[in-house]
Amino acid sequence: MENEVLSYDALVIGGGIAGEETALNLAKMDYKVLLVEKELSIGGKMILLSKVFPTLDCAACITTPKVSETARHPNITIFTGSEVKGVEKKGERNFEARILRQPRYVKEDACTGCQECEPVCPVVVKDQYQFNLVGRKAVFVPFSIANPRIAAIDIENCSLCGACERACPADAIDFSQEPEEKTYQFKSVVVATGYKLFDPIKMPRYGYGRYKNIITSMQMERELAPTRPFNTILRPGDGKMPDNLAYVLCTGSRDHTVGNPICSQVCCMYSIKQAQLLMGALPMADVTIYYLHIRSFGKGFNEFYETAKGMGVEFVKGKIGKISEKENGNLVLRYDDIETGQVKEVEHDMVVLSVGILANDEIGQVFKTQKLEFDDYRYVKQIDELKRPAMTNIDGVFVAGAASGPMDIPDSILSAGSASSEAASYLALTE
Amino acid sequence: MANKAPKILVFSTEKISDPAIDLAGLLKMHYPPTIYSIPLRCSSSVKSRWIMHAFEQGFDGVFIAADGTDCSYGESCVDKTAAIIAQTHEMMKAKGIEPARLKMAALCSVCAEPFVKHMKSFYEALSKVPA
Amino acid sequence: MKNKIGVYVCHCGGNISDVIDVNKVREEAEKMGGVAIAKHTIFACADSSQKEIAEDIKNLELDGIVVASCSPKLHLLTFRSVAERAGLNPYNYVHANIREQSSWAHSDDKKGATEKAISLVRSAVERVSHSVAMDPVSISAQNVVAVVGAGVAGMKAAIELADMGSQVYLIEKSHYVGGRTSQWGKLFLPGETGKSVVENLYQEVKKRQNINLFTGAELVSKKGSVGNFEIEVKITSRGVKKDADASTIEKAIEVCPEEVSDEFNFGLTNRKALMNFHPGQFPEIAAIDAATCTKCGKCAEVSDAIDLNLEEERITLQAGSLMITTGFDPYEPEKSEFGYGDYDNVITLPQLERHLELSNGKDLVINGKKIRSMAYIYCVGSRQPNGENKYCSRYCCTSAVHSAIKVREKVPDMTVYHINRGIRTYGKQEVLYEQSSKNGDIYIQFTEDTFPEVSSNGKHTVVKVNDLLTAGKELEIEPDLVVLVTGMTPRKDDAIGDTLKLPRGRDKFYNEIHPKLRPVETTIDGVLIAGVCQGPKNITETVKSSLAASAKTYSLLKREEITLEPIMAKVDAEKCEVCDNCSAACPFGAFEFVEENGKKVAKVNESNCKGCGMCLPVCPTDAIELSGYTNSEIEEMIDALTESDY
Repeated sequence: MENEVLSYDALVIGGGIAGEETALNLAKMDYKVLLVEKELSIGGKMILLSKVFPTLDCAACITTPKVSETARHPNITIFTGSEVKGVEKKGERNFEARILRQPRYVKEDACTGCQECEPVCPVVVKDQYQFNLVGRKAVFVPFSIANPRIAAIDIENCSLCGACERACPADAIDFSQEPEEKTYQFKSVVVATGYKLFDPIKMPRYGYGRYKNIITSMQMERELAPTRPFNTILRPGDGKMPDNLAYVLCTGSRDHTVGNPICSQVCCMYSIKQAQLLMGALPMADVTIYYLHIRSFGKGFNEFYETAKGMGVEFVKGKIGKISEKENGNLVLRYDDIETGQVKEVEHDMVVLSVGILANDEIGQVFKTQKLEFDDYRYVKQIDELKRPAMTNIDGVFVAGAASGPMDIPDSILSAGSASSEAASYLALTE
Repeated sequence: MANKAPKILVFSTEKISDPAIDLAGLLKMHYPPTIYSIPLRCSSSVKSRWIMHAFEQGFDGVFIAADGTDCSYGESCVDKTAAIIAQTHEMMKAKGIEPARLKMAALCSVCAEPFVKHMKSFYEALSKVPA
Repeated sequence: MKNKIGVYVCHCGGNISDVIDVNKVREEAEKMGGVAIAKHTIFACADSSQKEIAEDIKNLELDGIVVASCSPKLHLLTFRSVAERAGLNPYNYVHANIREQSSWAHSDDKKGATEKAISLVRSAVERVSHSVAMDPVSISAQNVVAVVGAGVAGMKAAIELADMGSQVYLIEKSHYVGGRTSQWGKLFLPGETGKSVVENLYQEVKKRQNINLFTGAELVSKKGSVGNFEIEVKITSRGVKKDADASTIEKAIEVCPEEVSDEFNFGLTNRKALMNFHPGQFPEIAAIDAATCTKCGKCAEVSDAIDLNLEEERITLQAGSLMITTGFDPYEPEKSEFGYGDYDNVITLPQLERHLELSNGKDLVINGKKIRSMAYIYCVGSRQPNGENKYCSRYCCTSAVHSAIKVREKVPDMTVYHINRGIRTYGKQEVLYEQSSKNGDIYIQFTEDTFPEVSSNGKHTVVKVNDLLTAGKELEIEPDLVVLVTGMTPRKDDAIGDTLKLPRGRDKFYNEIHPKLRPVETTIDGVLIAGVCQGPKNITETVKSSLAASAKTYSLLKREEITLEPIMAKVDAEKCEVCDNCSAACPFGAFEFVEENGKKVAKVNESNCKGCGMCLPVCPTDAIELSGYTNSEIEEMIDALTESDY
């Protein structure tokens, strides 16, 4: 820490795919970048996905090379488990940011990620990286392909029993670590804070949270991922393998009643992808997708949609009114069948809610001297969307990825490319 | 030879099919341990002389885990690999080696299951083919 | 042959050692030829182990290293850099994968897994003992970019590249910049029009000293490779002097006898061979269309600004990289497709857009008829169940919905039908769909099994459609105007694609390396694609893609030096018989033929070779070897794998 650098060309806030891409682009132009990630690993949401549409590449396989390239790049410094607390603009190409680094209670350079600490830890809590499908210990390696792949102690849940300390072959456990807040200087800032997932608990008529066999699409991603919590697809209520699944599209999107009138842009496609993967994993299962409009608009997407239809995925144009649970854990969906104009009821043994994506507006409070403007949906406002899509209302602050609106991975890559170019042009003015 | 486990050499590719073989391991999908892989850059870079060398040295089978259309060097790779196989089959015939001992299939980077299936059936077939 | 090889066998916690007898592997390794030291370690990747390996390299002067651990995809680079830090060439490091491909794959057979691990280590030791030190190849590169196509994508890229610090040649085939956006009126972002966007970008381009704009210019050939391309550009004279007096030009246009259909207005109007600029086209100077001009000289008689010497000029430019931003053609419906060409009130969406731009006044008047009702038919030329275009054109749903909103601003009591296949106003564009529905637009949905039919009952044009939204009821509509919402198609003129050998996807648009993570790079190093030539996009998406391509380009060229991986093919000149098989097999044009010691031989151009090895098997004299994958390396590995008779 003695030689710690306190000044960088760019601060990239958020280490998901957009933040990594931006950081790498800038680093390859020889700019020094500090990448700050709130979670314990970089990789964002993408690293937790199963496969990606429409290529069906395994998400981990294609994202981990980018993650490790980011982690290895000599021009990029990464703070995980850290938060940007305040950004003040002092002048052009002169920003000051306070950054809080939460302790891992594990020495980063000593831990080898061997996980010997995990079995001895007596505390079990829900695993947020598996979207609560299973438990984890209070000392844990976040997930198998995390970067850095080292342990951390969830101090709020830790019983301070010291078992991990005794089990660690590398003497890496260190309860004496403290939070550390410091001020750093930057010439530019890129906001790549991504999105939040809609929490379907806000729609009681679907019964999520009450009915055990309703899960969110992100939970299904985990069930399908190579680093999945169970070794197969099962319904959480009783561990039975489902054979008649339903997808409810537009859960929390295009819906004024939950305050989100816009389309989330990705749910149609990820649901179609999951349906295809489920047909592979559970060859006997039926999968039905209840939709209003199928929005397979990107390169190769419509063809992917046609493939799903060809595989036998059922598409029903219908609006789900209410879901209720039967004694055997099956679910009854009451819906408006748009093709016949009738209200129908149908039984499924597992329901996946295709949850929408929402603005992650916490970044707003970080900007102190000048307020960062949002659009009508609380996304970071692009003030010249057609000509400078990464520009925000603050000169020198740029936006990348889903922080500016719902988007899929390729669009995030393009958006990160814009942020990199625009930031580089801004930085070039000093020279 | 008859009661010995067949030995198979897999020419895989660093970016596509070898990751699939890795994934088979990660998912603890078992296949016989007398199967070895040598990763190349692209399946269409395999020389007939290497394949023939493997047979001469005692491998019972050679399997080319081709890139298929995912090949990062261009889609022509499948046709080119197939042409190499055809040419090598001729060389094998001339040397009295059963052409069935050389097989090829395209594997994607997550084709762990297909890989294991191919290996099991190839292994089984080789156990029956006379030397 | 090396004789100071170090071997490190990793336990990986227990991931390896629970199945494989790690110590036995180490003992066997110790006995292998050339091995000076063999150790086992709990975690080879841990800092302390890395330090230990580095110290061994220095203290024992090791000449090769093998680590037997997890997959090379995880840690090959880790240990290469350990070697490098300790002063050993990174290519004298070889990785043996005994976790994914042994302890995990054969956890049901501990003995088998251990034997396999020993064989894998033996083959790695053989490989390292034949390994050759290699250094990355550096080539100098020019920080100069040739951008082909000066629509929104090309101009935006030029501006950004210039600002970041590159020199830019912006090459536009037409005499005007702006591309398709010039043809569009109001955009859905408040206050923006096609013209305002193009004008702004054009002014920004003009402002920058380090952008050279060529109009009437075409890239006709390319030589060289990334860092150092040489391109030939054919420039056709515009035939009109820059500072021409507008009034004499108007007169000259008037007297021009050659009249053809005006493609800018999609055939709604005609133009002369001497054509004036349309609002939205820049520079705002007339130009002669050399293809239609007969050089009759009438224009020159009335205007001094005319220069009928339309000779084309050819220039050669040097550039470090090329960016292709050539855009699209709107789908042109076939004769009788939904009545197109049969009835004069069936037009395309781009034509409607031109009508809206050309007409003023409160009414929408088309072919002399006041339009009171109109029906948009969606997905024309896109998502074809039987045709070639299986893809969705992405921009058209939003554009048609927005067009209806614009029409209603002009004619508030217009009856508007949207005959669609599922409206795809994704993301924030959803609010336009909501607005149009609130405006009273009528949405009718059909499926691919029941396409609408357009016919005539003698008096009116009739659209028959089965509406999915009302239980498949057959509706008959008699709109005053039918608007075919046509999609985007790849440019019919593909000269640039042929010249550069650009790969195409299933949809015939230019293809990227990877649709998810590398959407603007192509398999040709130094050639990038941006905007709609890669696939349908709206303006914002086009600009983002062009900025992303700019970022990639600039990071490639900024250092004016490109480092290439040294894994490359090499030709043994003695054995080469110049049969040309290698250059035919090479997807990257890496072979050239040179004179060496009085003999013509094939030679590998290092800046083009990607080390795929496709040339190796096709050489009839086995004259080509790939560094790191030579005959001796591969064959010794095979020998090592067969040494044990397990």
